[in-house]
Amino acid sequence: MKKLLVILLLISANAFADEISVKVQGMVCSMCAQGIKKKFTEIKEVKAIDVNLDQKVVSISTEEGKNIDDETIKRIITEAGYNVANIERK
Amino acid sequence: MLPYLLGILLLFVNAEAYAHPVIYKGGTMIASQNMEMFSDNQINYSFHQKWATGLNLWRFTKENAETTQFGLVRLNHLLKRWNNDNSQGNIYISTGAGVAESNFNMKGTKAGYLGGVEGDWETRTLFTSLKFYQFSAPKLDDVSITQARIGFSPYEANFDKLQSWVMLQTMYMPQVQRSVVVTPLLRFFYNNILWEVGSSLRGEWFLNFMVHI
Repeated sequence: MKKLLVILLLISANAFADEISVKVQGMVCSMCAQGIKKKFTEIKEVKAIDVNLDQKVVSISTEEGKNIDDETIKRIITEAGYNVANIERK
Repeated sequence: MLPYLLGILLLFVNAEAYAHPVIYKGGTMIASQNMEMFSDNQINYSFHQKWATGLNLWRFTKENAETTQFGLVRLNHLLKRWNNDNSQGNIYISTGAGVAESNFNMKGTKAGYLGGVEGDWETRTLFTSLKFYQFSAPKLDDVSITQARIGFSPYEANFDKLQSWVMLQTMYMPQVQRSVVVTPLLRFFYNNILWEVGSSLRGEWFLNFMVHI
């Protein structure tokens, strides 16, 4: 019963969290892209961040009930030295 | 023991070769590169994605054992960046001002200046760069550096994996060495740390270290 409650809680938490995929141009070097991870990690709305150089995609998971607007995402990527090609939300 | 530890630390608080002179906004770069004929130690802070400032200490050791040092406050600017789907290209300009010191002939300390331009183009497995720096200390010394690099990585490493490169570096510093110094080297980076090791065709060692904070 306890396990079931935990699972339900996790499911409901995920239901309110945002999953954002950002396609980034120019992201060819893992060391240079560290700034992206560092800057997104500093934002309290961000729960987890993943950078995929193969797909040139930055995946952002937000905290439950929190969101990050497109302008903030574009600003962070630009300040890291890259261009945003596309933002998708799931 | 302490000098030994400090020596190790200095080796690893060192490097610029790869160093984009400007990194992400709010980022600090500590770098050092070392060869018998020169060393370059620097720390800089990118206060904007196109601008960085910092301190830079260059030391040149000439064939006649004369040494000239430049201690400079630098300003670096990302003039142009091309962010493509699978590549990135950059052009940077740098300027600096400070003091220069030489231990030979006209001993003394004078004002020293730096002007430089550099560019690079890279994919995940190819790297090329070209750099020209002119150091000037009127009535003391002038040193110019022309450096070119080409390299390849045998595999595409993802964000959190070790990336390895094989590179060939050529350096021409006519006031320091009369001939072009060719240095094959290995570059590695992992997360925010980069290190390079190599040896010139004449047997001069090359060590380089850089960290982004």
